[in-house]
Amino acid sequence: MLIEIIDVSISGLLNGSVYALMAIGLALVYGVTKAFNFAYGSFYNMGGYFAWVLLISLGMKGGYYTVFFTAVPFLFIVGFILEKALVSPLRKRADWEMKVMMLTLGLGLFLDIGYIVVFGPRLKSLPEIVEGTTSIGELVFLNQDIVIFIISITGLLCFAWILNNTRVGMAVQAVAQNPAGAQIVGIPKDFIFAATFAISTVMVGLGGILLCQKNFVIPQASWPIMIKAWVITAFGGMGSIRGSLYAAFIIGMLEAFVGYTLGLIYIDIAILTLLLITLALRPQGLMGKE
Amino acid sequence: MLNVNNLNAFYGEFHVLKDVALSVEEGQVVVMLGPNGHGKSTLLKAICGLAGKVNGEVIYQGQNIKGMAAQKLVNMGITYIAENRELFPYMSVMDNLKLGAYSKNARAKEKENLEKVFSLFPRLVDRKKQVASTMSGGEARMLAIARGLMSNADFLCIDEPSLGLQPSLRLEVFKTIKEINRQGKTVLLVEQNIPQITELADKIYVLEEGQISFEGDKDEALSNDHLKEIFLGL
Repeated sequence: MLIEIIDVSISGLLNGSVYALMAIGLALVYGVTKAFNFAYGSFYNMGGYFAWVLLISLGMKGGYYTVFFTAVPFLFIVGFILEKALVSPLRKRADWEMKVMMLTLGLGLFLDIGYIVVFGPRLKSLPEIVEGTTSIGELVFLNQDIVIFIISITGLLCFAWILNNTRVGMAVQAVAQNPAGAQIVGIPKDFIFAATFAISTVMVGLGGILLCQKNFVIPQASWPIMIKAWVITAFGGMGSIRGSLYAAFIIGMLEAFVGYTLGLIYIDIAILTLLLITLALRPQGLMGKE
Repeated sequence: MLNVNNLNAFYGEFHVLKDVALSVEEGQVVVMLGPNGHGKSTLLKAICGLAGKVNGEVIYQGQNIKGMAAQKLVNMGITYIAENRELFPYMSVMDNLKLGAYSKNARAKEKENLEKVFSLFPRLVDRKKQVASTMSGGEARMLAIARGLMSNADFLCIDEPSLGLQPSLRLEVFKTIKEINRQGKTVLLVEQNIPQITELADKIYVLEEGQISFEGDKDEALSNDHLKEIFLGL
């Protein structure tokens, strides 16, 4: 019994780590730009298809090392260009937050249909990042899961370090806390908006590579991921990075335990029940500001 | 140092500034007086690249800077200090000050300016780690001015520094501004109430309904009947 509880907890922790990586990116964009990015889930799949193109279609050498080293700049540049080309022009207009949501919703659908057109509707599988298992006493881990955990946590730590220790990171926080103040001290607000969008694209795209190699690459995966990331950010408190971090692990744990005790089909209903109760009692979420 | 000609600004349909002209010489403190809502803040923001649509000419050290982005102007040495302070509320005093030195020109002199700022505002030294949103109105005002000085600006546009402060603190802030000026900064300052601020001014302008209605030194201002009427109620 105890060993099973530990096992389920570990799987919750594992889910939580990769959810945190993805949800924090979404919270970051919302916190800084105050506009919601509905194309977020489609960037998850962009990571998956990127890995597939490199590993299967092109058969690049270096395996996942090559994938990760090229995916980070690739996703950053794609995110940056899309923000500059599509989102940034809207910001000069009245009521732009709503317009940005409409536009990103369209962008998400465009990307998803684009994946079907380019790669076909059928699922694609990626090679496992590592094979085999590791056992500690009675506990058995997939090596794949250990790698997912390590990369997610490393990604989160890098993100936290950038945010708190670099000039760009401090500028991102400044824009999130007071855009007018940021402009006064000479922070190039438009650049920070684009950089934030790009960083979040990297975070969700990396999550996409990690999860697609465990599951599959399918064009329909975008929306479940979008919904999950949205539930986590809303539960944690819109725009609160710390809130999303806690929420990701709480939801990860909840998923693991509900899946284990009640069955997989109850997972989503449990998560959404938790969200609705939380928002009814505390509309700003766990750590959001009113 | 700064020459403004035919400056017009609009807020939506509303014509806020109408053919405003003014000049500020290096080393001066120029005070712009005027009732609330007559365009004083817009004027400062227009100079600092923070207002929306602006027409006319803003010449800073021989260069037309009208329409330039705020970040460029900060780097050229022009800084706006907002009436509502615009601090970063969840950051410490120290982080607010460091972000004040964000521009390239300021970065090189961050240490030096930090020392200067701490000697001007010794109270901020003990509060380095305090979160900005928990400061009192007077302290937050000082932090806003201090953050502006961190930009290494030569030209400070200070928007109603006395707003919401009790009289003793107000005098302290004015004294500090005089000291900042003595250390070589040129100041263009916007205020509503006349008696205390005239002490500082090398030149006084009055802005009413978006137009300059008076220009002169402090003696002329104090003896002007129209000004007495609108500002002192005499």
